[in-house]
Amino acid sequence: MITLRSEASQGMALSAPATLYVGLLVAAPLGILVVYSFWTQTYVSIDRTFTWENYRLAVEDPLVRHLLIRSVWIAGLVTAATVALAYPIAYFIAFRTRHKTLWLLLITIPFWTSYLLRVFSWKLILGFNGVLNSALMTVGLIEEPLTFLLYNEVAVVLTLAHAWAPFAIMPIYVSLQKIDRSLLEAATDLGCSKLERFVRVTLPLTVPGIIAACLIIFIPTVGDYVTPALVGGSDGKMIANLIQVQFGAANNWPLGATLSLMAMLAVGLVAGCFVLLSNLLARRIR
Amino acid sequence: MTYKALTLTAAACLVAGIANAEGSDLTVFDWSGYEDPGFFGAYVEKHGSAPTYSYFGSQEEAFTKLQSGFEADLAHPCTDATRKWAAAGLIQPIDTSKLDNWEAMLPTIKEVDGITFDGETWMVPFEWGNTGLIYRTDEVSEDEISLQALTKPEFQGKVAIPDAASSAYAMAALGAGVADNYTNMSDEEFKKASDYLRAVHPNVRFYWSDAGQLDQALASGEVLAGWAWNQTELNLIWNEVPAQMMRGEGKGIATWVCGYVHLSNADAPEEQVYDMLNALTQPDSGKYIIESWGYPHSNSEAFEISDQELIKTYGFDDPKALFDNSLFFDAVEPELEAKMLQEFERIKSGF
Repeated sequence: MITLRSEASQGMALSAPATLYVGLLVAAPLGILVVYSFWTQTYVSIDRTFTWENYRLAVEDPLVRHLLIRSVWIAGLVTAATVALAYPIAYFIAFRTRHKTLWLLLITIPFWTSYLLRVFSWKLILGFNGVLNSALMTVGLIEEPLTFLLYNEVAVVLTLAHAWAPFAIMPIYVSLQKIDRSLLEAATDLGCSKLERFVRVTLPLTVPGIIAACLIIFIPTVGDYVTPALVGGSDGKMIANLIQVQFGAANNWPLGATLSLMAMLAVGLVAGCFVLLSNLLARRIR
Repeated sequence: MTYKALTLTAAACLVAGIANAEGSDLTVFDWSGYEDPGFFGAYVEKHGSAPTYSYFGSQEEAFTKLQSGFEADLAHPCTDATRKWAAAGLIQPIDTSKLDNWEAMLPTIKEVDGITFDGETWMVPFEWGNTGLIYRTDEVSEDEISLQALTKPEFQGKVAIPDAASSAYAMAALGAGVADNYTNMSDEEFKKASDYLRAVHPNVRFYWSDAGQLDQALASGEVLAGWAWNQTELNLIWNEVPAQMMRGEGKGIATWVCGYVHLSNADAPEEQVYDMLNALTQPDSGKYIIESWGYPHSNSEAFEISDQELIKTYGFDDPKALFDNSLFFDAVEPELEAKMLQEFERIKSGF
């Protein structure tokens, strides 16, 4: 029977399950990935001598560079589009409606369907015989189905932006909700116009929410695999598709591990720079 | 006493029941759809139940799963995979003396590389078919269509190619005229084939990964020509879409052969494994797959007993004509295969 427990040991006990979980399911696989990246594949077996060969291949390969840049670019577009569209909705829910719960519930409705089904429905909408083309043809605006709707970068951005919208709305809503209303009143009393009040008070106070939304969307979308595979065609391929090929058809796990680590590094760098920059910017506004 | 007897009887019934229900200990690792009992009626008759099935979507996926320890008794790859699977120690040789139908197999199919190599037989061929260019006959005439024509601007955005390096390179080897050396192309030949794919790339609407996507695109006219399996041609014919596979001498067509391999980590009794292999290769199983699936079977006797009307419709009345002058999907040299895979990724991204 232990009756006396220090705060520290209590804290340890509380965080033990999470630590164990993270250790086993995140740190350990990551460690394996690092180890694999220094090995090489020879046909059906793995050569376990330490080498930088995979990194040399990946760095020198213009395809890898191209796909990495494109992945960051697509994820950046998705993030910008999603956050820009999400902010007004979050603003509306926080300030303009009394039925907050209902609205938040409505926003989560797309999550009641599997992501794969949502991607397929975009295919149905944008496809050759899809909803959009059929509608435009019935109205008589076009004679031949438009083919630039599907199998390209735009289709990927559209699908991802739709899928990730709730992830942007929630954190922005929370940060808007937290704003002390008396600050807004004070701004008005001191002679701010509505726009000035938004730019100088509301927006800076919601920067943490915007940053959270950006990171939540940017980080997973850089590595998205299934969306570009289904709607991306050859112009919309991303780095995760190349990684998948290495772990699948090419059966070259070491190279796949290297590419994964490089993608993680790229994401980390971009996300880090973004956080630093936006914090600086927020301070300037204030 | 009565109570004890009752329990014993109940237990005996239970055991008997289990034995009956669990008549089969086999696990088959297969493409989905092949659990069709019409393929192995004789096995079910003998053992009282069908084998347990587990599925894969591509040979690469199957390979990865088996290599990481997945256990089954039989698996169903195609001949281009067997050398790799054998090299990885995943499969064990087949004892052909235990195969009742070995003598009745179509000789050309039996002799495909990947069935027998290194002095052992590794696969029992089951079904086969053509892979070729399927095109819309109402939009493209028979004289116009050729593999080389796909590089022309008229086909812009109207071509579909499989998202699988080996299949795409088979098409490329035929298109670039280097098909004779498909399995061990020289650097120069490999470059010719790659250049062919690069030339077609600007016209490619999509690289298809599921056949349903291609079938729909051909049916709607989204694409006019696609490199695909015979199944697509049949689906289109069944749906009355004016389309067919490009055949004819020198036009370029390939043949695939798939079959069953005995996995190294199999633990089902050998008797059941061979009963299953024999059931699969029986003439009446062949009749079933020919008539209801439209796939040619490996047993030559199957063709004689099938509905001759259908045989004619599908062009199986002269099986030899289907694979004459065709490229067989043999196992590509490992180094070349790795090169194909990496190069194909570049081509698809426009490099």
